[in-house]
Amino acid sequence: MLFHLYRRRLRSHLAQELLAGSGIAVAVALVFGVLVANTSLTSSAGALIQQVVGSAHVQLTARSPAGFEQGLAGTVKRLPGVRSSAAVLRENVSVAGSRGATTVQMLGVTAGIVNLGSLGTKNFGAGGFRFSGGLILPAVVASAIGAEPGSRVTVLAAGGAHRVRVGAVLSGSLFGALTSSPVAIALLGVAQRLVDMPGRVTQILVQPRPGADRLVKGELLRIAGGRLDVTPADNELHLLDQAIKPNSQSTELFSAISVMVGFLLALNAMLLTMPERRRFVADLRMQGYDRRQVLLLISFQALALGIVASLVGVALGDALSSAFFHRVPTYLASAFPIGAKQIVHPTTVLAAFGCGVLATMLASLTPVLDLHEGRAVDAVFRESGGRGETINGRATRMLGIAGMASIAVVTAFVLITPGLTIVGGVALALTTLLLIPAMFAGIARALPWMGDHIRSSALVVAVSELRATSMRAVALAGIAGLAVYGSIAIGGARGDLIRGIDRATAQYFGTADIWVGTGEDIFNVNRFEPGHTAAAIARAPGVASVRSYQGGLLDVDTRRLWIRARPSQDHAMIEASQLLHGDLARATRLLRQGGWAAVSSGFADERHLHVGDAFSLPTPSRPPRS
Amino acid sequence: MNQRVLELREVVKHYPSGGGETVRAVDGVSLTVSPGEFVAMYGPSGSGKTTLLLLAAALIVPETGSVLFDGCNVGELSERESARYRLRDVGFVFQSFHLMPNTSALDNATIKLTAEGLRLSEARRRARPWLERLGLGKRADHTPERLSMGERQRVAIARALVNEPRLLLADEPTGNLDSRRGRETLELLRDICHERNIPGLLVTHDPDARELMDRAYTLRDGHLTDSSDIAEPAAIVS
Repeated sequence: MLFHLYRRRLRSHLAQELLAGSGIAVAVALVFGVLVANTSLTSSAGALIQQVVGSAHVQLTARSPAGFEQGLAGTVKRLPGVRSSAAVLRENVSVAGSRGATTVQMLGVTAGIVNLGSLGTKNFGAGGFRFSGGLILPAVVASAIGAEPGSRVTVLAAGGAHRVRVGAVLSGSLFGALTSSPVAIALLGVAQRLVDMPGRVTQILVQPRPGADRLVKGELLRIAGGRLDVTPADNELHLLDQAIKPNSQSTELFSAISVMVGFLLALNAMLLTMPERRRFVADLRMQGYDRRQVLLLISFQALALGIVASLVGVALGDALSSAFFHRVPTYLASAFPIGAKQIVHPTTVLAAFGCGVLATMLASLTPVLDLHEGRAVDAVFRESGGRGETINGRATRMLGIAGMASIAVVTAFVLITPGLTIVGGVALALTTLLLIPAMFAGIARALPWMGDHIRSSALVVAVSELRATSMRAVALAGIAGLAVYGSIAIGGARGDLIRGIDRATAQYFGTADIWVGTGEDIFNVNRFEPGHTAAAIARAPGVASVRSYQGGLLDVDTRRLWIRARPSQDHAMIEASQLLHGDLARATRLLRQGGWAAVSSGFADERHLHVGDAFSLPTPSRPPRS
Repeated sequence: MNQRVLELREVVKHYPSGGGETVRAVDGVSLTVSPGEFVAMYGPSGSGKTTLLLLAAALIVPETGSVLFDGCNVGELSERESARYRLRDVGFVFQSFHLMPNTSALDNATIKLTAEGLRLSEARRRARPWLERLGLGKRADHTPERLSMGERQRVAIARALVNEPRLLLADEPTGNLDSRRGRETLELLRDICHERNIPGLLVTHDPDARELMDRAYTLRDGHLTDSSDIAEPAAIVS
């Protein structure tokens, strides 16, 4: 009966079903696209980090790209309880091929990494790559720069350019996330030579024997001696989680708005078919269908529509995500190896799919209300207005009062706890929806008054139509309102962020006319000896002065800090637009003296620091300094 | 003894009106329709005629009084029982047909049979003779959009009769038909009541229907009177 009746429905109301299905699919696509884009950011980096660490549980790691002496790898290997270990060198470099250049993270590895099953080496016997000398590039990097196995590429690192042969290009499912990650793999010795870090590594991955985790960690801490970190092998993922927070907040807000817009879109799409659905239900009941049968029928039809539309929505969202949403902020891509691969978790699919089906089910509830015991079976035929599409005055008043009360409560909460601003914003968007029927009723009352003065028959007809289908009109107004709110809230936030970054960047780089460095190294963390290069530039005609800058990334607790040093001759030591507390002139003077630092508000808040306070940081290779 | 009798005893049904007043749709009506009898109910719009039909179909329950069919008080049935009563015992013909668009006449006629769990092929097999009897044998595969108003009404009648009901209710079945088609339809309903020996209750505005009925009544302000005041068509408010 269920299939038969739904087949009839599809035949008799195909256009309406398609319309409703399209609305739901668009809603699911919006939600899925945003969710995938959000999870892909951490997941692609996470997948690469997991591939690098393999079966290692713990690592001895440098706090900065400067690394530590390779000799420690032998010491770690001989520690009691260590099953296997591997030294790794990681450094950002530029690789250039026939088609262009890109920034990648150089991974210098030893054969010991095979024992950890890292970097797809577990597929060694199944066609995995061999440590053949030159560079091994993932397919996405090779494709971007126009490299292929056997060809030569240029590696720009540490102020030098090296021509290196491409030993292999990784593609296919054997290497997973590695194929789409911004990395270049080389034997440790080759990597050390290319980045000019002879005898240095940045981390040692360790897999303890079963039950020896605590013992190994203790031994590693002893070796670290306060100058190196001992962390879980996938610690970088936690650092990324921290760094990604500002981006995540805007994405979360956008996700929440998308869910709301999506739900309203689905609701509105369903509302278009609702009068006819209600009449159909009333017909069936008058013919002798009981409540259980009708409920089963409504649920089945909503489920069928929801499932099909949500599946289409997931497919659309997948395309939407890769085409529009999957953009990695530059500041993250420069500090973490975030891949281009779109990662889709089963939970993301389930969440978007579930939202679509749930929205369809909820939006289909109106005919179920007609099944209420006290309601006449043929009530739908006797209603005035757009047959079940009106909102009565009492409901409008109640919603209005609830909306006003909610706005007051949310505003009070946000004023007391500013940290709840984003949650409050979403809550305000929701509560504002409650006011729409009241606003709508007000406008509907005002329009006839205007009509008396304007004498427009079209206005009268429009008002009548709006009143007759007020539910649908309110849903449409809700979508429009949320869309405007979303674009203003998100667009405004993003605009602020971009304007702030642009201004800070302009001021930071404005201290010199020409910068010499590695491409896309926005943090100035790639180091090289300026020596001869600086002298040669200084001799060039028209050059007034040459100054050296150095940035660095330092892992401290749960954060990856950007440390930057600039010469005291610079006319500005900090960007004026970025100053929140303190006096610019005094800060500049103190920074030039040395021994002083300007810190971000996030760092200051975390450590409860005020202007003039002292703080200490662990140094890359020595005990903490204040 | 055949007990398929529709009996209304002192039935009262009032509705609240928008202005806080009460509309006495049915106010102490008593009526008996015997098996094989086709009875007409006249009355102006809003006089309670349709309410009477809804009471008989157990779609609404009376405030006081009782509606009995085959000795059973249908006003006391549970929701499930009343749905079963409508499905198995009642054939209800509506003025506005309520046919599913883009669905063949045959499939429209099977709607009650599929509710009983019949396979579609079996439901179609059982519905087809009714369409043929109603002169729609060659139009069975046509959708309502391709049928005339009279044909649509006959599909609606087929749908009401396909479960071989024991009580026939018709709400203005000729309201959308020309006089010739209207007369044919009423004759058909009357013949079915007589043939199958089932009671039939018709609500109509059509004064010409009077001569086809076994009995006729007028409902005015919720009260039932005999049909002597049925006059010229111009006197009927529709």
